[in-house]
Amino acid sequence: MRFGALVKRDVLVSWRKKSNIYQPLVFQLLIVTMFPLGLGAGAQTLAKIAPAVVWILALLSTLITLENIFKDDYEDGSLDVYVLSGMSLPLAAFSKATAHWLTTGIPVMLFAPVIGVLMHLPEQSYGVLLLSLLLATPIFSLLGTVGSALIVNIKNGGMLLSVLIMPLLSPVLIFGAGAVLETTLGNSALGHLLLLLGCAVLALTLAPLAAAAAIKVNLE
Amino acid sequence: MNRLLKFYHELGSPPSFYRITSHWLKPMLILAIIFTLYGLIDGLFFAPEDYQQGDSYRIIFVHVPAAWMSMFIYAIVGISGIMAFVWRMKVAEAVMMASVPIGAIFTTITLLTGMLWGKPMWGTYWDWDARMTSELILLFLYIGVMGIYSAYDEDPRKAARLAALVAIIGLINLPIIRYSVYWWTSIHQGSSVSLMGESGIKDWAMLRPLLVMALATKFYYIHSMLCRAQSHLLKTEQDKNWVKLALTGERKDKTQGGNL
Repeated sequence: MRFGALVKRDVLVSWRKKSNIYQPLVFQLLIVTMFPLGLGAGAQTLAKIAPAVVWILALLSTLITLENIFKDDYEDGSLDVYVLSGMSLPLAAFSKATAHWLTTGIPVMLFAPVIGVLMHLPEQSYGVLLLSLLLATPIFSLLGTVGSALIVNIKNGGMLLSVLIMPLLSPVLIFGAGAVLETTLGNSALGHLLLLLGCAVLALTLAPLAAAAAIKVNLE
Repeated sequence: MNRLLKFYHELGSPPSFYRITSHWLKPMLILAIIFTLYGLIDGLFFAPEDYQQGDSYRIIFVHVPAAWMSMFIYAIVGISGIMAFVWRMKVAEAVMMASVPIGAIFTTITLLTGMLWGKPMWGTYWDWDARMTSELILLFLYIGVMGIYSAYDEDPRKAARLAALVAIIGLINLPIIRYSVYWWTSIHQGSSVSLMGESGIKDWAMLRPLLVMALATKFYYIHSMLCRAQSHLLKTEQDKNWVKLALTGERKDKTQGGNL
């Protein structure tokens, strides 16, 4: 019940602010424009790096939104209220991750094929691209709650957040971009996707606990 | 067993940790110097040339011990991180934060010596192979722990608890990172030392300086870590009485005796 209420509130706040939702997408469009400008617009060159570019853009555009997952709640005192109300903190963290995934993860995932088209990603790869991001965007959000909870009362913690979270995300990038790359070569992506699923399960079980621990330390 | 347990509890209290480890500093430093001198001289002058690589293989007497230390120290950071987080032991916090910069330096040494060796051997300073990449990510993990600690400089205990949490998360992730990174085809040779394996160093004259250097880096680490841990404790406990006593300790008995 409380879980649902929290998710609903966060989604509503994001929806009313709108910029939260379209910022990562604009970011992706801006950066993807730079690749043809820098590399030359040859379709073959672009197609070769397309799996990596699409994936890295999805990752980076999510990364710039992570800092704020707990920031507002920390600054206006809602975070203290969650703790005082006796709500389970891992559950609160999980609801923040869910709301972030609904408002950032899903748009980023749905926008990735557009970037794919701009990068001349081969046709057979789009299904796996969507599937890999469907598995990976929840990981971004879940690990994001951990990173955001760690830096919640640091000013300009964005850089630190990137340093903390980059090592955790590198396996996700390897498996995710690897899955798309396999399809462009005409191979099966099943192995990569299964490993990605494993990462997602691990993040789902451990990340809320870690985020809750970080919040607890920060509010002491 | 009882005595060992008592010793463990004694080490857990900052004043007795300071007192006990003060006696270890000098022997550890001397051992480190002796072993380093012996290992380097033996490795650089007396160990035989490699039949393929000639003299340039000799960088492994620095490279491999540093690489072992970079991982060994992260394990210590992770374990003391767990102790600091779960039991809130001040000494564990000190050991963790003292170990992190040393581990980061060993990781950097590993990367730099590897690059210097790679240029003549592989023809390139850097190649994104599995071991190099995971070593680089290990460096990021160290930097992350240091970064979060220094970001909370107004409250060192809170900073240490958050740094411990980051270290624990890193410890869980390290195997995942390592195995995921191994998916790439690698040009890095397999382990140089293995007891059962087919490949690797067989010659005792080559192995001896390597093992001596591995011990030297351990002794150096213990010395350096204890120095740092001691100053960490002195800094965080500066209002406590034991710090005053420890810093003016030598003269305490005399002046007390004289005045009273």
